[in-house]
Amino acid sequence: MNQVKVSRKDLMSVESPGRYVGGEYGSVIKEDVLKQLEQTGTCKEVRAAFCFPDVYEIGMSNLAMQILYKCLNDMEDCWCERVFSPWVDMDAVMRKSGIELYSMETKSPLRDFDVVAFTLGYEMCYTNVLQMLDLGKIPFRTKDRKDDDPIVMCGGPCAYNIEPMADFFDIALMGEGEELIVEVTELIKKYKDGGKKDRKALLLEISKLEGAYVPSLYEPIYKDGRYQGLNKLSSEAPDTIRKRIIKDLDNVPYPTKPVIPNIRIIHDRAYLEIFRGCIRGCRFCQAGFIYRPVREKSPETLCRQGIEIEHNTGYDELGILSLSSSDYTGLKDLTDGLLDAFEGRHTSLSLPSLRIDNFALDLMEKVSQTRKSGLTFAPEAGTQRLRDVINKGICEEDIMKSLKLAFAGGWSTVKLYFMLGLPTETMEDVKGIADLAYKIEKLYFDVCREQGIKARKPEITVSTSMYIPKPFTPFQWEKQNTKEEFLEKQAYLRSLIKSRNIKYIWHDVETSLWESVLARGDRRLCDVIEAGYKKGCFYDAWDDHFKYETWMETLAEHGLTWEEFAKGFDVDDEHLPWEHIDVGVNMSFFKKEREKAYREEITPPCRTKCSGCGAQCFKVGECYAAK
Amino acid sequence: MLQNERSLEMTKQKHQTEYVVRCLFERVGDASFVGHLDLMHTFDRAIRRAEMPILYSQGYNPRPMMVFALPLGVGIDTLGDYVDVSLAHVVDAQEFMDKVNPNLPKGVRLYGGINIDEPKNSLMSVVSVAMYRFEAPGIKAPLMHLFERDTIEVQKKSKGKIVTTDIRPLLLSGAQNPSASEDVVEIYCCAGSSKNLRPDVLMNALCVHEGYDEDLAANASVTRLMLYGGEYPRLIDIKELL
Ligand code: SF4
Ligand code: SF4
Repeated sequence: MNQVKVSRKDLMSVESPGRYVGGEYGSVIKEDVLKQLEQTGTCKEVRAAFCFPDVYEIGMSNLAMQILYKCLNDMEDCWCERVFSPWVDMDAVMRKSGIELYSMETKSPLRDFDVVAFTLGYEMCYTNVLQMLDLGKIPFRTKDRKDDDPIVMCGGPCAYNIEPMADFFDIALMGEGEELIVEVTELIKKYKDGGKKDRKALLLEISKLEGAYVPSLYEPIYKDGRYQGLNKLSSEAPDTIRKRIIKDLDNVPYPTKPVIPNIRIIHDRAYLEIFRGCIRGCRFCQAGFIYRPVREKSPETLCRQGIEIEHNTGYDELGILSLSSSDYTGLKDLTDGLLDAFEGRHTSLSLPSLRIDNFALDLMEKVSQTRKSGLTFAPEAGTQRLRDVINKGICEEDIMKSLKLAFAGGWSTVKLYFMLGLPTETMEDVKGIADLAYKIEKLYFDVCREQGIKARKPEITVSTSMYIPKPFTPFQWEKQNTKEEFLEKQAYLRSLIKSRNIKYIWHDVETSLWESVLARGDRRLCDVIEAGYKKGCFYDAWDDHFKYETWMETLAEHGLTWEEFAKGFDVDDEHLPWEHIDVGVNMSFFKKEREKAYREEITPPCRTKCSGCGAQCFKVGECYAAK
Repeated sequence: MLQNERSLEMTKQKHQTEYVVRCLFERVGDASFVGHLDLMHTFDRAIRRAEMPILYSQGYNPRPMMVFALPLGVGIDTLGDYVDVSLAHVVDAQEFMDKVNPNLPKGVRLYGGINIDEPKNSLMSVVSVAMYRFEAPGIKAPLMHLFERDTIEVQKKSKGKIVTTDIRPLLLSGAQNPSASEDVVEIYCCAGSSKNLRPDVLMNALCVHEGYDEDLAANASVTRLMLYGGEYPRLIDIKELL
């Protein structure tokens, strides 16, 4: 068996060498497979490398990775190991010393695996996929890979529009992967048993699994530089690929004994995922649509798993995970149960995405380790008009009511999240952001006076990010704001926020501009991404390493412009690069929602009234709960 | 009641008596590339997984009560470090180790533990001497040659300025070499919170003063073999220094 050796000198020369050594508690070593490998250099089981295209500390904080690591290792016929993107310093050392990318568990070179699976959580990690393939000596393009090369696949939210990366992946898995990844691995096992002959036939067979998209079975058609849809290269390839969902979350494998990193990571805590999907349908939010329909796990299952996880991991914090915790119907039972079980054990709960009300404030008192941590609101837009456009079901009155409670309860730190560049936004809406912050400041002092509380210096933070139109949302056709528009809005808001109690945080515009190209891009970007990588672009998700100029220049070299991707699509007669993917929600629904947005009409949450978005086709969850 | 107030209460109640398990531990191989703070977290979690009744400090941000004898640099193996763990009730040291060891990551292991009452002197304060082993091609002769010098000046950066210090007084003696190999050398040197010689500083001096190859030095395997108390050459087992 091949093992990659890294010298002590090389490890000592990089920041945080603990990232590269493995040996963590909970990492899976299949002794019998290892023995086979040591004796014969090969094994009959499928060897899978689960790759995270970012640094170790981020990858290890990723729940999807822990879930799928478990699913694959629960299979008798598979051994899954983990691989992370080496940080820039290690990348340089590896190139200089001729070290190949290797797995954490056995230090095997990446190309010795049968499957190399990437999880794509954000577009800006794309170049790191290439970095990993490069350091792993695996051909970039699916067309250049031989029967013996690993099968390279991906999944995660970015897989829904994988076109900009389509040439690099043999397979893209749509939707929730727990079952699908096992089915794909079973087919790969047969392929391996048969001596790895005819990779094309394998991929065609995989394409017949629901949710598996094999990009090489299709080719894009362009006319006058505009995308015209995909042409099937095999009559057997499916016309559309429908995402997979897990119907019964209570009975799907959950990593209650995850790998525990030896070094501190970004989110150093255990996770409990309480439900999938979101009942709200905010029109800018991709997660709100692609994870439909809402499916909950029962509080009983969750309590049991939460207690198990706390015991198995030794973590002193359990993070409750979902898109919107307050919408979980069993929240009280769950938190009561867990708080009870953790009594005296120095374990805290963390509950992000809580809607602030009496119950939430009470809960936050009970769960938080550091008292009176900040309150978080995401009104997303500054005026009610624009909030109606984006269907953000939160009104100023709600916010003020919650804050009144919170301020009376002694809170004084508030964080507000907004987006700039939402469709129909005017400068009036931008000003609304500052107005809201001022109203909150005033409210704080009013409440203190009324309640006889000694007023402190309130900390009100306003944070804006740039809105990027995403596939599978009602705004998928919209035009993106230009750099100048964004900068103008940021500057305007900066000029409005003068109080020393209000802090304004804005983000780098350029990163968002490139992200927007990737988000709605098509296959013409594959060459661009590869060329950008070869010019030294990677770790684009890290502001310090992001090279905006290089990307714009590379686009131009390929005869493309930023505007082309930013200008969006004509709703009625243009093809979308992701139209062959079916997330359950119909295109007609997205169109209707878009029209309603322009009429400033809201759509009620799933639980209030089903809007017949199409996700009822999965025949589970919220769509069926009331019926 | 707030959770942290609640735990504070509990800590106070339990804190009236404190039972300490003092263990030796080793950290070898890949685990050596985990930094000292991270290692403390690793121990904390392993002890929690083992359901051992570790005590927490009082105050706003309760911390598990664990004391390490001497921080260990990244990339250095150890076979003889110490940790004191405070428990809310007596757990036999052997049982403690049997429960915690399966919960530790690869390369980290507790051994030779004893039960003690609350130590009068902190573990950190009793350490005075460390024994190290260095393994690298031909390292023995040049390293032993350092002992023949009257002074060994090294430069280090301190607050932006470069200061020169003499590390010769920190070197105590060479130890009986277990193998006749020219590639292995074992030494005693000062260790602890007041006078401490860091192995990487010594390696650096070896290159500067003896012309030892920097690459070989960087790849040398360094192992802390044991920590001692007392005054050289009358060394005292740390388990006896309570
Ligand atoms: S509440 Fe809105 S923004 Fe949040 S996850 Fe749900 S749909 Fe998305
Ligand atoms: S079908 Fe109805 S209930 Fe189901 S996700 Fe769509 S809108 Fe919500």
